[in-house]
Amino acid sequence: MLWPLIKSAAALALAIALISIVLVALGVSPVAVFAALAEGAFGSWYAFTDTVVKATPLVFTGLAIAVAFSAALWNIGADGQLLVGAILSGAIGPFLGGWPRPIAITIVLVAGALGGAIWGGLAGWLRARRDVNEVISTIMLNFVAVQTLSWCVHGPLMEATRAYPASTPIAESAHLGFYFPPSRLNLGIAIGIILAIGCHLLLFRTSFGFELRAMGRNRRAAAFFGLPIASLTVRVMALSGALAGLAGSVQVASITHRLYEKLSPGWGYEAIAVALVARLNPIGIVAAAFLFGALDNGSQAMQRAVGVSPVLVQVIEGMVILILLAFDTPIWSRLGGRLGGAKGPAHAPALSPDA
Amino acid sequence: MLAARAITRRFGRTLALDGVDFEAHAGEIHALLGENGAGKTTLMNVIAGATRPNSGEVTLDGAALNAGSPQEALKAGIAAVHQSPMLFERMSWEENLALGGFGRRGRYDLRAVAAEAAALASQLGLKLPPPRAILEQRSVSERVRLELLRALSFEPLVLILDEPTSVLAPSELAGFLELLERLRAEGRIVVWITHKLAEARAAADRITVLRQGRVVARAISPETPERELAQLMLGELAPPDAAAIPKGGSGQSVLLLDNLLLIEDGRSIIDGLTLELSGGEITGLAGVDGNGQTELVELLARVRTPSGGSIRLSARTEAAEIAVIPQDRDHDGLVLDMTLWENLLLEPGLRERFTNGSWLDVAKARALGADVIARYKIRAASPDALAAELSGGNRQRLEVARAMSLKPKVIIAHNICRGLDLAATADVHRALVDFAAAGGAVLLISSDLDELLALCGRLFVISRGKIRETEPAERTPERLGLLMAGAWS
Ligand SMILES: Nc1ncnc2c1ncn2[C@@H]1O[C@H](COP(=O)(O)OP(=O)(O)O)[C@@H](O)[C@H]1O
Ligand SMILES: [Mg+2]
Repeated sequence: MLWPLIKSAAALALAIALISIVLVALGVSPVAVFAALAEGAFGSWYAFTDTVVKATPLVFTGLAIAVAFSAALWNIGADGQLLVGAILSGAIGPFLGGWPRPIAITIVLVAGALGGAIWGGLAGWLRARRDVNEVISTIMLNFVAVQTLSWCVHGPLMEATRAYPASTPIAESAHLGFYFPPSRLNLGIAIGIILAIGCHLLLFRTSFGFELRAMGRNRRAAAFFGLPIASLTVRVMALSGALAGLAGSVQVASITHRLYEKLSPGWGYEAIAVALVARLNPIGIVAAAFLFGALDNGSQAMQRAVGVSPVLVQVIEGMVILILLAFDTPIWSRLGGRLGGAKGPAHAPALSPDA
Repeated sequence: MLAARAITRRFGRTLALDGVDFEAHAGEIHALLGENGAGKTTLMNVIAGATRPNSGEVTLDGAALNAGSPQEALKAGIAAVHQSPMLFERMSWEENLALGGFGRRGRYDLRAVAAEAAALASQLGLKLPPPRAILEQRSVSERVRLELLRALSFEPLVLILDEPTSVLAPSELAGFLELLERLRAEGRIVVWITHKLAEARAAADRITVLRQGRVVARAISPETPERELAQLMLGELAPPDAAAIPKGGSGQSVLLLDNLLLIEDGRSIIDGLTLELSGGEITGLAGVDGNGQTELVELLARVRTPSGGSIRLSARTEAAEIAVIPQDRDHDGLVLDMTLWENLLLEPGLRERFTNGSWLDVAKARALGADVIARYKIRAASPDALAAELSGGNRQRLEVARAMSLKPKVIIAHNICRGLDLAATADVHRALVDFAAAGGAVLLISSDLDELLALCGRLFVISRGKIRETEPAERTPERLGLLMAGAWS
């Protein structure tokens, strides 16, 4: 487990080094840029907690990707699953006034998980029953989810004054409150970490996780030994969707308290990067999500301090992924094999961590 | 002179080559002999620049070669023909040769390529595939011939061939040997990698034997007796004792296939197959591939459901007591990217044994892995080694070990010794014989007549999904060959 993490860290260092060269060429001091970045991400208690808050949805969606990819189900739809989860949470939330807090929160979270599970499970069902490539179906379902959210906040769920394209706020009893206001630190990250440990145990210590990984690495052999491929496909996609859906409901319950159109800045896609950097290892995903959260968070401060566009952070993220992929080609051969319908090398090492 | 000095190459925890010295002189055919996993292919890859050694160097006529560069090696005059051809499967053979240096550089003139190839091929006595044939659809032997053609077009000083005869048809062998002898006469070096003793003795001028990554005999004479060579290659040799092979059986029926039918797209693949397996014997099913064997195995593994008839277990046999070893170990039998112990758990019966509720008992499964490694002589660093790290023979030992660990009443084995060397074949056969001797029932489905004649009590022939029992008088390779060709069905 250590070796992949070292590799990821090395990729990050290399990306930073390459970026530094570009910055020097532009006449900006890399030291100043990265200092500002670090200052913005960790420079104060408030900055640090906001990094955690930004990392939280990436933990959930990263886990969603890891679970699906471990089964060689290429779920590109975490963003849509997140949105559907958020919609259900946001729809039920306003009706929970007066309920005891633990129950109200549980209902909101379960609704989110359920929404994501339905959205992911649908793609799984299409794959299992009709052999629809899940890459295509999940991308399409993302579009459907985005438009559904838009319709909801302009239509049935629109807030009472009808002035803003946003939904009625969820009841106070369903809020995941801030522990140390004004910092926005909340229970979400703790739930994420617990789920990461849970996913790790699930993947490497349970019979379901074993079946899932066996299917991911050799579908034919898995079928030969009687693994229920179709049902596994549906269950894995539903589980993956549920994790992504939780990202949406945690975000609604803790931060936004309501729905609006641009709820997700693309966490479901960024999660693919997070999961790849973490080599699909659930514990590694917490670390990778934290790193990405820090980069996001620091980028604002960096712009203010040294006038470098926050887009630089996306460049760094992109480079980390590219560098990792460049030194880990089997990922491509497996993904490419799936997309192109061609058979990759039969013994390509798996894109997956070892427990 | 080609020389490799003190070559060491590690793959993770496996030491594939351990300080290997190897020498071959101009104008000789030098056999590199060793069982599967001995390190032959790795040594070839090091010499041909395809693999970088951890230490050691390769020289050709005293000049050191740049390690890890196939182009450099080729320029220096070393060409390799790989065991599994390195070609573009979805392109035609002409396109492959064009990419391999045929025709004029930078021109896409397939007709020129074909003409050039035809000239070279007729000169060498090799047959080419029909025009524009896509490689994917051609046999392995045709692909290997193309690789050979490509290699020879470079006029190499050194030609290394990795187990070429395992894919050549017997009828092609004589021409092939002639070709090698011509190369030798031209003063080139031919390194012939093989695990077949007889071949090395017949064709080579000198033999170097590798065992477990070390040279155990350097440049010895091909007159060395076969028995001695086997000893060198295998360490100790222990094929199953002919007397121990149970024939006749206990007569206790354990599994009955009753008028089994499998119809697909209106074609009957399995056509009224009736067969009774009883404990204490190995029942053979001989056949040319593609006559319904694979489907029969899948029916028995319950991956498919029959269109008619039934598979009945005797009263005292449970479904979980049938262990199936499929023929394609890399695709059907194992998950190469999983560890050895995880591959054991692929078998549902074993997985059940190592789960409490939905939790896997990893420690116990690992312990079984360690036990199996010791008991079945699997060369693996630990139960945590990936199946991909094992050689073919060891992968098969793992499959057999898994089947045995289930403590089944019936074992269905399909072409399990295909591609294995002597030692692994002997081990696998011995395991089956011991199992039958202890009262188990074995159905051995195979296209290898020697294997079937040596091990089986009763012997059936399958052709176009129908089976027929053979009479004792029919059990000669010639008669069986005719029956397998479907003379009766
Ligand atoms: N790419 C590889 N990765 C891991 N192990 C390997 C690799 N190639 C070969 N090995 C291991 O090295 C040993 C020697 O293999 P090889 O040279 O292929 O043997 P041979 O050609 O004599 O059958 C075997 O144990 C094999 O499993
Ligand atoms: Mg080999």
